[in-house]
Amino acid sequence: MRPEPEADGEIVRAVLAGDRERYAQLVERYRDRYARYAARMLGSADAAEDAVQDAFVRAFDQLSQCKEPDKFVGWFFLILRNRCFAERRRSRTETSLEAAETVAAADRTEGGAETAERRRALQLALMALTPDQREVFVLKHVEGLSYGEIAERLSTSVPSLKMRMHRAYDKLREQLREHT
Amino acid sequence: MSEHEFHPLVKQLLDGDITLAALPPELRAEGQEALRLLAAVDRTPVQLLAISQHVMQKIAVRPLPERSVWRRVVAPREVRLRIRPWLLAPALAIAAALILFLRPAPTAAPGSLITVRFVLVAPDAHEVSLAGTFNRWDAHATPLVRSGPTGVWTATLTLAAGQHQYAFVVDGVRWVPDPGAPAVDDGFGRRNSVLTL
Repeated sequence: MRPEPEADGEIVRAVLAGDRERYAQLVERYRDRYARYAARMLGSADAAEDAVQDAFVRAFDQLSQCKEPDKFVGWFFLILRNRCFAERRRSRTETSLEAAETVAAADRTEGGAETAERRRALQLALMALTPDQREVFVLKHVEGLSYGEIAERLSTSVPSLKMRMHRAYDKLREQLREHT
Repeated sequence: MSEHEFHPLVKQLLDGDITLAALPPELRAEGQEALRLLAAVDRTPVQLLAISQHVMQKIAVRPLPERSVWRRVVAPREVRLRIRPWLLAPALAIAAALILFLRPAPTAAPGSLITVRFVLVAPDAHEVSLAGTFNRWDAHATPLVRSGPTGVWTATLTLAAGQHQYAFVVDGVRWVPDPGAPAVDDGFGRRNSVLTL
């Protein structure tokens, strides 16, 4: 019989009590779950790696401010989200073309050149959205969350998310038509 | 509606609320275009195997989070690791707290009232308040007043004899325990200062 995985709250409390090595359990548990979110938000696997790594270090520094250790993952997500938004603000002037190609390049072996091209075009179009618009698209259509789940995670309302998403749909359509 | 905007029904299709078959015939082509857009969504997992080691290497040389809480109030990261909290140094933008009893009452009878002055040195703070068992942890109920340019914030309260738990709240978001007072774990990974009157 497999042992029950230890709850996040138990690990957080152990780290705060001085057992910092236990933090590795949290890193391994969540690093890949949010890597894809960060990669699609930032348009680059390398930038995603930096962002996720920084977010884990920042979460460690601020761990005593995690008011509900059993909800560590939701708290961590917000730290990563802030990091991704800050990264986009910093690099807003940079072209996203190279970044989008970096993401798409990894996919070429999976679905052929045509799939890779469609993905590349969509990723480029995603990078033309505002971070708010891109985030709701990524959480719904990449991560597969419902509007209700996204609203809970971002502490906002479903109608507001839908409005953001519907603007994103229009903008994506415009971008894809311009570049295809 | 501009030429790039999807019809509201097509947006419902994209949201997964309706199927392509539910669209009127004149919107089917637009619906198919929308579905092609979704078909290009890349859901390939991204793996970051290497970061576990990098994160653990980085945190190995950092102070434990519990001890570093209050130092984050205003101090730049590279500075706060090299200084000690009890060395008050406004020039280094460090916050420290101490508590002064205007009328210490070591033998206070239960139910008696005691006046206590709370002091926090936080030169870069914009607002400071006190939250504790005496105000139901309301972070806005008991603001401290800044006195002078040195960043000394004070509040004077009259509290009932007994034990109180509290923390300073800096700029509405940072909960800072009092390094001059004993502290207990609040059960959520944070430290509350304890004042016994």
